[in-house]
Amino acid sequence: MSVKYIPVQWNRFKSFYDLVVLAMIMGFLWVFVHLVPGVLPHDPAINPQIHNMRAFGSCAFFLLTAILLIGPLARLNSRFLPLLYNRRHLGVLTCFVALTHATLVIRWYFVFSPTDRYVALLNTNTAYTQLLGFPFEAFGIFALLCLIILATTSHDFWLKFLTPPVWKSLHYLIYPAYAAVVAHIGLGAFQDQQNPTFGLWMVLCVSAVVLLHLAAARHERMISDPSALGPSDGPWQALFPADDIDEGRAKVARISNGERVAVFRNNGRLSAIANACAHQNGPLGEGQIIDCFVTCPWHGFQYDVTNGRSPEPFTERVATYNIRLRDGVVEVNERANPPGTPVEPLDIPVRRPGNEA
Amino acid sequence: MKRNAPFFVGYLPVPRDLRLVLAISAIAFVLAFVIAAWAVGISQDNPGDGRFRFDLGRQTVTGVLEMRPYPVLHVIEGSKAIETGETLMLSGGGKFGVAPRANQLDDMVVNAKGILLNRGTIRMLQIGNQRRDLTAGEGQPTVPEPVNLGRWRLAGEICDGKCLAGAMRPGRGIAHKACAELCIQGGVPPVFVTTQPVEGHEFMMLADADGGPIMEQLLEKVGIYVSLEGRVEQRGSIAVFIADPNSLAVLP
Repeated sequence: MSVKYIPVQWNRFKSFYDLVVLAMIMGFLWVFVHLVPGVLPHDPAINPQIHNMRAFGSCAFFLLTAILLIGPLARLNSRFLPLLYNRRHLGVLTCFVALTHATLVIRWYFVFSPTDRYVALLNTNTAYTQLLGFPFEAFGIFALLCLIILATTSHDFWLKFLTPPVWKSLHYLIYPAYAAVVAHIGLGAFQDQQNPTFGLWMVLCVSAVVLLHLAAARHERMISDPSALGPSDGPWQALFPADDIDEGRAKVARISNGERVAVFRNNGRLSAIANACAHQNGPLGEGQIIDCFVTCPWHGFQYDVTNGRSPEPFTERVATYNIRLRDGVVEVNERANPPGTPVEPLDIPVRRPGNEA
Repeated sequence: MKRNAPFFVGYLPVPRDLRLVLAISAIAFVLAFVIAAWAVGISQDNPGDGRFRFDLGRQTVTGVLEMRPYPVLHVIEGSKAIETGETLMLSGGGKFGVAPRANQLDDMVVNAKGILLNRGTIRMLQIGNQRRDLTAGEGQPTVPEPVNLGRWRLAGEICDGKCLAGAMRPGRGIAHKACAELCIQGGVPPVFVTTQPVEGHEFMMLADADGGPIMEQLLEKVGIYVSLEGRVEQRGSIAVFIADPNSLAVLP
């Protein structure tokens, strides 16, 4: 949570996360750049410049694959949610690795020439009408531009400035970027390789990304939040029995206007707020109440369940809803209150044994 | 989220039940990256034996310069590494040809100094950058008579002769396509690497249908497996493939 913008709000887990990511990158580059040349039987060796550009390029591909595996893994099993927590740092480091690859390529293949290196990059191979020999560099440039946009807008300042829906839409650029990287490799380096190993790794990675996304989508469909039971009267909609809600947790329902409402049970009393976190639209209904505050499972943003406000000095707010009980069923007024509007929690009548209908 | 699942909040201590999952995930990711680096790294193809022959030192030779389609030197006075009677393709430094400096020396005896590149039977002399590295020499300028080796349809790849000869390793293929095009545009002689040797020649200097430098139609297909039809000539010790661009076909 943030009350002012600072570059990185470090905590122990973020430091651990970044250390693991650095170990992944440094381990990959150390093996590829320092160990592999010693065992390759080539005489003379591959140019170090070409060897290094391959190292950074393939590292960026594997990092992008890892980024795209984390999302569906976390959706399939909440134990993997911590991998999502600091994924932005993984994305920024991936951008630097890809940028290094591009720099090495430009400083080797597009120099020593009378043509300016950047003009040469864009102008030399222009055979866009043929598949074989297609200027695969264009896909690499597109992917790199996407990664730069994602990295530069990764900070919470941009999230707030652009608003979460726009920011999230922008960050779906990761998918066209990945597709472009696959096309970049597939129409470029892959065409020259006689040894199929890298091709097999590529197929394995792309298949894993596609299959995990399909599995996650299927999982989401199966556990999707129930719709409201139906209209009760006027703007009131029946949701679910109050007894279905565990203490400190929520139950979520989709109401007729398409919004998701999370009804929490806190100290035996019910309160309803919008399900989307003001930070990145994380699912508040999958969160828990910690120290009397609803805590988002994605990044730990917190809200007072009775008014939808983050504890001071934080300023995030979500909409609240008026609720009532009828025959033990929670009913919600579909008209959301403005974000931060206090609503008195609803007492749940204690059922005495033998008093049930 | 399952009711009893441990709940993670980034700024709070990691729940005990999640620590093992996180430790295993971290180790798995790092190991996967190390293994991938090893597997991809050691599976790189051999770039061939082409190289700059710095080990042989700077070569000084005398020969007759022939400028079309690209500058070559028919050596009449060789060195330790370059035999008399050999024909060498010529280039300048980087992606520069030698034509701008050599044009006024066409069909003349010249003294040339530079570094040899060679890969198998393909040999090229990279002329030094100084004016004294390519000067008019003395002697009878006799250019070997071309020998017609017939008309052929050949399958293979158009490469730039310098990278293929070892300036870059690897110096051919689609990943290298833009670099090869830049070299050829800069005046470096293009080479056709054929899958079907003609009179023992696996590499042939490539010329357009008029016997001059290749034009856009062939340039676009650099680095791709193609077939071309044309006349093959032996000029000194090298072969020249005078190809008809209209006969070009991309092969699968």
